[in-house]
Amino acid sequence: MRGAIATGREATGRMTRVVIAALLALLCGTASASMAEHAQRASTAGIDVITYHSNVKDVVVIVAALPAGDAMAEPGNIAVPTLSGMMLDRGTKALDMFAIADKLDSVGASISFEVGTQSLQVHAKCLKKDMHLVLGLLASELRTPALLPAEFNKAKQQFVGGLQASAQNGGARAREAFERSIYPEGHPNRPHTLAEFVAAAKAASLDEVKSFQAKYYGPAHMSMVVAGDVSDAEVRAEIAGAFSGWSGGQDYIRSAKPGASQASTAAREINVPLADKPSVTVILGQATGLRYRDPDALALRIGTAILGRGFTGRLMSTVRDKEGLTYGINATMGDDSIADGAWDISASFAPSLLQKGVGSTRRELDKWWSGGVTAQELSARKQGIIGDYLVGLSTTGGLADTILANVQRGYDVSWLDEYSQAVNAVTLAQVNAAIKAHLDPAKMVLVEAGSVGPAAGAP
Amino acid sequence: MSRHCDVYPPLAVLFLSFQLIATCAAAAPASTPAAAPAAVTDGTTGFTHVKSLGGIDEYRLDHNGLGVLLVADHSAPVVTFEVTYRVGSRNEVTGDTGSTHLLEHMMFKGSDAYNDAKGNSIKQMLERVGGQFNASTGADRTNYFATIGKENLEGYIAIEADRMRNLWLHEQDRQSEMTVVRNEYERGKNDPDNVLVEEVTAAAYVALPYHHPTIGWRSDIEHVPISKLRDFYNTFYWPNNATVTVVGDFDTANVLALIRKYYGTYPRSPAPIPTIYTEEPAQTGERRVTVKRPGEAGTVILAHKVPNGRDADQPALEMLDAILSSGKNARLYRALVDQGMALSAGSGTDLHYDLSLHTLYAALSPDTSHELAEKTLWAEINKIKTSGVSAAEVESVKQQYIAEDAYKRDGTAAVAAEISEWIGIGDWTLYVTFPQKVQEVTPADVQRVANKYFKEDETTAGWFVPLTDKTGAGT
Repeated sequence: MRGAIATGREATGRMTRVVIAALLALLCGTASASMAEHAQRASTAGIDVITYHSNVKDVVVIVAALPAGDAMAEPGNIAVPTLSGMMLDRGTKALDMFAIADKLDSVGASISFEVGTQSLQVHAKCLKKDMHLVLGLLASELRTPALLPAEFNKAKQQFVGGLQASAQNGGARAREAFERSIYPEGHPNRPHTLAEFVAAAKAASLDEVKSFQAKYYGPAHMSMVVAGDVSDAEVRAEIAGAFSGWSGGQDYIRSAKPGASQASTAAREINVPLADKPSVTVILGQATGLRYRDPDALALRIGTAILGRGFTGRLMSTVRDKEGLTYGINATMGDDSIADGAWDISASFAPSLLQKGVGSTRRELDKWWSGGVTAQELSARKQGIIGDYLVGLSTTGGLADTILANVQRGYDVSWLDEYSQAVNAVTLAQVNAAIKAHLDPAKMVLVEAGSVGPAAGAP
Repeated sequence: MSRHCDVYPPLAVLFLSFQLIATCAAAAPASTPAAAPAAVTDGTTGFTHVKSLGGIDEYRLDHNGLGVLLVADHSAPVVTFEVTYRVGSRNEVTGDTGSTHLLEHMMFKGSDAYNDAKGNSIKQMLERVGGQFNASTGADRTNYFATIGKENLEGYIAIEADRMRNLWLHEQDRQSEMTVVRNEYERGKNDPDNVLVEEVTAAAYVALPYHHPTIGWRSDIEHVPISKLRDFYNTFYWPNNATVTVVGDFDTANVLALIRKYYGTYPRSPAPIPTIYTEEPAQTGERRVTVKRPGEAGTVILAHKVPNGRDADQPALEMLDAILSSGKNARLYRALVDQGMALSAGSGTDLHYDLSLHTLYAALSPDTSHELAEKTLWAEINKIKTSGVSAAEVESVKQQYIAEDAYKRDGTAAVAAEISEWIGIGDWTLYVTFPQKVQEVTPADVQRVANKYFKEDETTAGWFVPLTDKTGAGT
């Protein structure tokens, strides 16, 4: 009987490798089964540009990132990075925002900007024939934004309005409270409060935006992925033409690890009272002190998936399927691409089931932490992670996003192929050791946001 | 377990879902004539080739009437397999509202052949191979789908076909899943805009079952007996009430053989699938609903019933919505967002098998009054009613649709999902022909439909009025 089980596991392992090889070969369309061979990486106009020719016809996807996120805010005003990003699609020195929108709409293309913790992210999409137009407009928006006072006032108003509208959003408020409790002052992942952002946005000046853009917007640490029906030479020629002569830019904030800060973190329970919320948002977790590329990070990520990823994760299997306490519960690691990040379980419970739900969550967490995961769980989860990864690469958008994330984490394009091998190489002992080494349920922070506590009122 | 009863998403998402409908409407301008039904002679017996259109081949399994749509795409070694049942919340009545959705959840509870204890349940199988899967319930259809490496297709079809007729429906499973669904319902109620959309919809429809939310009323979710779920399952989950859609890297003969192997064992439904004969009475005056809850910014909705999704006026309505809502040049953006009155604004149609619901909305800036926002929404509609739209506006939208046609070929899951929506609306061929019809829309068509459908006496207006006392006390 034991022999049959062991044979079954070995067979599963072999099957995994056969399936992966087949998928890789077909995704690449080559006998070499290398996706990285389809990617070309070089500096063009000072930008780290990666091109990837995929099988899609006519479609071009452009994603880019440069270090200009909220963490780069100067001491004077924390809202300036976001406002700087919001001003990019409000016209250039040559074209007003409606003229730009007209040009893009007339060919069905799009360009959008988003400001995150560490980076300004760009997403663009167009047909192959319109790549010249889109890269040209993107360059103009980044290099020569109009920065008109009237548009700045509108951007401020929309930013403030959006912030205020999120004041009663349980998920957003829970996340803010959690991150402020686990990251120390000065950590790039520590968010400011909603009230601080609102006050800063109201006080921000256009001069601060101009100064921020001058300092942080530039090619020096910018990465750009252009994927789809593209040729490397054509892409580089377009980028060279559009971005030539641009300079400047700052590096990401890769703060020193907090070291003892995790050990000194004490368990806390935080209530964020919000009225009239029939479902309470719960986050339970801690800072890990780990970056994505740290030696234990992949092992802990796989172990975390066994606990809380998908419908077969332990949390969903028990807290949802068996006990019926929640619609959704999962465990993840995040915010660790550039600086050290966090680990958390997030879930939702009705106020009347909150205590029971948190109790069940803690029970499964403790069981996982103290008992570890099994070889059978690890084998199945590895196969699932790799399969999901490869399915995700089957669209141009998914491929481009993955390449950009890899580059931001410090990997070369070869990681496209090496990731699956790395997942397969993780051992049971590594997973269980990583869980114990970097997490401690006794020191985790619990946040409950919703109609809980005396100030929340009746749901 | 759903992609799901997002039939009533938050307004911030609502606009995106309208855009999705718009994108599903973009296909090749050139049409392929529908072929006449003919017996398959390629070695795959048991199917009738119904027609081919726009790169989609339609078959019917002769033995039991199962519909099959095949869309070959060999750009990546993945396949999306989706089964759409022509049953949704429109098939529910008072007392069993939400049953379609609850049953969708129960479809993951297993069967004698495939279950968690055996380690071969559908979620175990699909997560083991890295499949991206889920299910969703709408007003007009329920679907189950997975995107997987093509070598895993047979394993998935076997389980998906099995649960069409062999599902466990145990009371203890209903009890635990009921509270799961109730939490899904509660999460939806956290967002006051969600509640507003639900109440506007309930006011707009008085007779058609679109009146009630797809997730159901809370009391029905809690109390519907397992016997009613069994009745629902035994009434609607039959091959002649379902269409299988396969998109991706497959061999036609092989995939038909697999479908026949696993679905061909079932007979047709023993009784005809029930039809809905209820008709919505004419609306003879404006209706208004107000939702007051803690919040920061208000919302205004203007809803109008418009024809079913197959109606010839829908392409013109689609064009009108794009002109009102698509991008920074859109009329509502210029009138409301750019003027600082709204954080976002848009319009779109929730297409249905029966009467659809068109919605204009504005998510207000904190200092904007509901009266001003509503007046501005009407002003933009009235401009189109009196002055029409420009040829340049119409042409720009058409170009966006042509580009969208290329974009949607990048990935199999989105194609399958859009086809499933059209199946629910009642005609999958609109996936191909609807965008062609959009290309034929003229400025005069847009003005005509604006005058035809956006009448003040046929309006259902909804306001979300935020309460400033955030503790909920004294309200």
